[in-house]
Amino acid sequence: ETKGISRLADTKGLSLDSFSPGMDKAIGCYDTAVQELIVIDDLMSALIGIEGRYISIKSVHGMEDCITFQVDASMDLALQELAKRVFPLCESYLLIDQFVESRSQFKNGVVNHAFAAALRALLLDYQAMVAQLEHQFRLGRLSIHGLWFYCQPLMGSMQALSTVVKKASANNCTGSAVLNLLQSQSKAMAGDNAVRSLLEKMTQCASKAYLGILERWIYEGVIDDPYGEFFIAENKCLHKDSLAQDYDAKYWRQRYSLKEGIPGFLANIAGTILTTGKYLNVMRECGHNVQVPSSENSKLMSFGSNHQYLECIKAAYNFASSELLNLIKEKYDLMGKLRSIKHYLLLDQGDFLVHFMDIARDELTKKLEEISVEKLQSLLDLALRTTAAAADPCHEDLTCCVERTSLLKTLGTLKDLETRAFSDDNGTEEPMSITGLETFALSYKVQWPLSIVISRKALTKYQLIFRFLFHCKHVDRQLCGAWQVHQGVRALNLRGTAIPRSALLCRSMLKFINSLLHYLTFEVLEPNWHMMCNKMQNAKSIDEVIQYHDSFLDKCLKECLLLLPELLKKVEKLKLLCLQYAAATQWLISSCIDIPKVEEVSDASLMSDKSKQWRSRSLSLALNKTTQNITVTESILKFEREFNAELQNLGPILSSNSQAEPYLTHLAQWILGIRNDQ
Amino acid sequence: REENEVSEEVLVRDVLYACQGIDGKYVKFDVNADGYVLLDTVKVPRTTRLIVRKLCELGWLFRKVKGYISESMDRFPAEDVGTVGQAFCAALQDELSEYYKLLAVLEAQAMNPIPLVSEPASSGNYLSLRRLSVWFAEPTVKMRLMAVLVDKCRVLRGGAMAGAIHLHAQHGDPLVHEFMRSLLQHVCSPLFEMVRSWVLEGELEDIFAEFFVVGQPVKAESLWREGYRLHAGMLPAFISQSLAQRILRTGKSINFLRVCCDDRGWADAATEAAAAAGTTTRRGSLGYGETDALETLVFEAAKRIDKHLLDVMHTRYKFKEHCLAIKRYLLLGQGDFVQYLMDIVGPELSEPANTISSFKLAGLLESAIRSSNAQYDDRDILDRLRVKMMPHGTGDRGWDVFSLEYDARVPLDTVFTESVMGRYLRIFNFLWKLRRVEHVLIGAWKMMKPNCITSNSFTKLQGTVKLQLLSTLRRCQVLWNEMNHFVTNLQYYIMFEVLEVSWSNFSNEMEVARDLDDLLAAHEHYLHSIVEKSLLGERSQHLYKSLFVLFDLILRFRSHADRLYEGIHELQARTVACSLPSQDKKKSRRQTSDKSSEPGSWVSDGRKALTQRAGEFLRNMAQELDAVSKEYTTLLEGFLSQLPMQQHVDLKFLLFRLDFTKFYSQLHPVK
Repeated sequence: ETKGISRLADTKGLSLDSFSPGMDKAIGCYDTAVQELIVIDDLMSALIGIEGRYISIKSVHGMEDCITFQVDASMDLALQELAKRVFPLCESYLLIDQFVESRSQFKNGVVNHAFAAALRALLLDYQAMVAQLEHQFRLGRLSIHGLWFYCQPLMGSMQALSTVVKKASANNCTGSAVLNLLQSQSKAMAGDNAVRSLLEKMTQCASKAYLGILERWIYEGVIDDPYGEFFIAENKCLHKDSLAQDYDAKYWRQRYSLKEGIPGFLANIAGTILTTGKYLNVMRECGHNVQVPSSENSKLMSFGSNHQYLECIKAAYNFASSELLNLIKEKYDLMGKLRSIKHYLLLDQGDFLVHFMDIARDELTKKLEEISVEKLQSLLDLALRTTAAAADPCHEDLTCCVERTSLLKTLGTLKDLETRAFSDDNGTEEPMSITGLETFALSYKVQWPLSIVISRKALTKYQLIFRFLFHCKHVDRQLCGAWQVHQGVRALNLRGTAIPRSALLCRSMLKFINSLLHYLTFEVLEPNWHMMCNKMQNAKSIDEVIQYHDSFLDKCLKECLLLLPELLKKVEKLKLLCLQYAAATQWLISSCIDIPKVEEVSDASLMSDKSKQWRSRSLSLALNKTTQNITVTESILKFEREFNAELQNLGPILSSNSQAEPYLTHLAQWILGIRNDQ
Repeated sequence: REENEVSEEVLVRDVLYACQGIDGKYVKFDVNADGYVLLDTVKVPRTTRLIVRKLCELGWLFRKVKGYISESMDRFPAEDVGTVGQAFCAALQDELSEYYKLLAVLEAQAMNPIPLVSEPASSGNYLSLRRLSVWFAEPTVKMRLMAVLVDKCRVLRGGAMAGAIHLHAQHGDPLVHEFMRSLLQHVCSPLFEMVRSWVLEGELEDIFAEFFVVGQPVKAESLWREGYRLHAGMLPAFISQSLAQRILRTGKSINFLRVCCDDRGWADAATEAAAAAGTTTRRGSLGYGETDALETLVFEAAKRIDKHLLDVMHTRYKFKEHCLAIKRYLLLGQGDFVQYLMDIVGPELSEPANTISSFKLAGLLESAIRSSNAQYDDRDILDRLRVKMMPHGTGDRGWDVFSLEYDARVPLDTVFTESVMGRYLRIFNFLWKLRRVEHVLIGAWKMMKPNCITSNSFTKLQGTVKLQLLSTLRRCQVLWNEMNHFVTNLQYYIMFEVLEVSWSNFSNEMEVARDLDDLLAAHEHYLHSIVEKSLLGERSQHLYKSLFVLFDLILRFRSHADRLYEGIHELQARTVACSLPSQDKKKSRRQTSDKSSEPGSWVSDGRKALTQRAGEFLRNMAQELDAVSKEYTTLLEGFLSQLPMQQHVDLKFLLFRLDFTKFYSQLHPVK
């Protein structure tokens, strides 16, 4: 093909070189009538781009599409003038012909091919017209005026086309750029009816090839685009397995992307087109063979004003999205997975957690570096298998991990959560020794294609909530332990000691942590979960499902105070106090009652040996007087003071924030209720 | 008009000739200009010259295409153009005959005279050069396309040629597109025919090596792995890689069934597949552009043939049973059998390797099978179990060269190839050694236990000696305990964490395997996981070596312990003999037997000498035990310190088990 082109160029070069003036007589020496005949013959040659005897073609050097025609100066002036009027048509022909030849080459893309083919068809008509004129001429029926008349209808359209062609070759347009150019030109020339319809026809033809590509994409999810003209690009480096690790879910968002140069008539619907094919591809990756029901009117024939193509695209989109949604919901059981995640990560399944906390306590209280994740994993497996969780088929997917930083720090590092005011307190003092209890988190192995919904990011959010809840639970358990210790000594006469005071404090702490937990689970997680479930029932596409799920997580994060650093810090402080108190209880109690407890309790329960009991009581009373007891009382009072102060502090913060975040009033009600009780 | 030397009719006729590649009177092929030109001597206007030149481009293109066709036709008997090449030529020839038809019509029209302005008009279609240019517009496009293809395909053959043409088929011009489509339909039909017969009949009808599946003659056992492969160069782009793989595997499965399994059932499966795909098994029912149909055919055929093959493997050749048998015998899964074999073969294997007769061992193996639960196993499986003596060097004991072997016959040897069996052998050797060490430890315990009880009777001994005795005994016990702890846990780990877990994974994968490749991969995975986890892999070579040193040490310990207890035994006998000549019947009996074995060694020396000797003996033993214990500690420490460096999580579990009380890590804090 290239050869052909070059040969053509050769021809032209040759012709220009071999042009030898003086070969013929100057036209001026003929009679005017003969001159007319010669001019007509020459013009007909010029019309198909060939030099005549007295009409020569000059191409200006360096510029390909700048061609001028010259006539022999000795020609009759009137004839010269008429001939010159026809020249623009010849010029247009030459330009278009060149364009057709160059654009039919393979590398120029299918849209150009189709456009060139349409132009070629037009040129064929044009040549046929010239042949007809020749016939007329040979029959002696054609005068130069007649020629001029017959050329008229073509003048305008050829002119318009040559402008388009000039623009296209100047910008070296391919693909959608050609379509856009054609469309804008046809709009710009809307005044001229004939030209406009011609250009529209050209657009139609040129876009046919493009629509073929589009059709394969929206019906099969295949990019059949050998010359890179389509507006959707596939990034093959991203693999679906990366979803499980990639925090930003790049695969889902960037595997297919829109490129530059969307054709104008598809600009509004490009997003839909992209998602349609994306869905189809997801299904193919799942090994699910989709067959779009084909019917006659689903063919993308044209993009005329009736918007049939828009309907087709919408239909394809609806089909793909509902099919994918069905696949994910039914075959891959999305809701079941989410429910199972909720069981474990949102502490829905109580027995498993209690059991796990019992057996893993020793490991979890170690320092971060000493914790063996493998051991935790085996303990977790044990807990899962021995509790009701064993009935859940998904429990195998649960793994555990130990993070490196505390919850507050982690929240600070996750930039994209709308962390207000996290940036300014980088100087937050890290608790000196964070143990596994603060950093332990469960994780969940999510398989493709569910990883689209439960992405790494979503899992991270689940984990944040889990860590908060887990720690609250831990505090709760510790306080319960303290409460048990108090119960153990209840039977004794404790008047005059600090123990009743301590019991009171213990109870108010318990109330605090319980109401916090109650708020988190029953006021935040459960209602939001139900709302999400309801919405998901009615979701139309997978993107909607993702959105609902993400917004559920965001809402939970927000309402669980995780996005309110100052509040969270207070709560952490309170929890820390509770923990300190719980740890100190044993010591406090035993220093109040300085008798081995086992004996004491057994004595007390017996109640038969009164003398012994009396003695013990006197002993404890005697010890009450010691200085140690005073320090005990003092430390209990100190705990109480600090706890109350912190709780008091919480009040204003809550009420001031509750203006903006109404859900905080619920929490305030619970927690401030404690204060009123006191 | 007057300056024209030749009339336009003549020129038109000449152009028509030129377009068929024939030199006319005035229009001739010019080698310098590389094209048909009007002779310079002819005096015509420049316009005519140009238009003739332009029209004759078609002739030039025609020459090229025609040249290619005749060239390949000439080459045909001598060189192999290949069926695809032939099809291509035929398709081009078809196109050319269309073209000839057009030229014939034009020729007829060219006979009519061209009306001239001066003369009166005559009726009828005539041809002028300008009219010719209209006529030639479409053929030029096609001819140009053909010329391009001819250029591109000159050196290509077979699938590569089809691929190259396919690359040119994606053209936006509807005319070109249609043309290429029909061309490709012709070109690809031989290729598709090959695919069809390969997928449905397993025949490689490929004389000219054009197909993208290449076969090579191999032995039956490596037919599956090496018999056929894809030839990437011959794979046209319109057949995707995965489809090609599937095509390859389907035909391979048929051949495998035919050659290795001696099976005829696949023909039914193939017919069924063809019926399901909607095509008959006739020839030539597939064409280019019907990639879907091809895919369906291949898919259906693959599904059925693979299923059939797996059925044959599982039901007729009992793949799973054999795997299980290998696990039970070669991987020592059948406990009673292994125990018994160890018992009866033990004495024999302690001999130097070159004195052992493998017939005897085979007999022992047979009796081990007979006397254990293995006897209820399938006779076919038991027949395949053999004793194998590995090549031995000087100083090798029977233990070093003894191994079991499983004879996997055709077609199972596709799975259990020699290299696979070699790996099984390595695992067997390792397990056998482990078993042996365990066995030795148990033997030591058997000896220690009664002695512990009787050692209470050493009341008569002198204080220091007694203390020495007790401490030595204790040291021995402790050392034994340590070793036993290690070996038991290692054994547990290998048996349960490695073998059973791998086996259960393997069974699952076997269930879901859809073709033989899956099955092979599953088996490979199974074997690999065993090798990796039981320290036999490349990366754990050091660990493996130190483990073997440990084993050797334990074996040495056994002999020390033996000596110690023999000595104590003897001492005890002496003591009894000295103090209470006839107290217990049993002891006196033993004493007499001792006496008879070593007459007059200690008895004559009297009590003091006896004590002295005993003390010396115990001192020596204690020193030796100390040495052993020290060595053991360092070795074990080395072993444990290497464990955490391993990749496998499971190996960390092993460490966790071995060191569950943190005894070792506290003893020697690592880093």
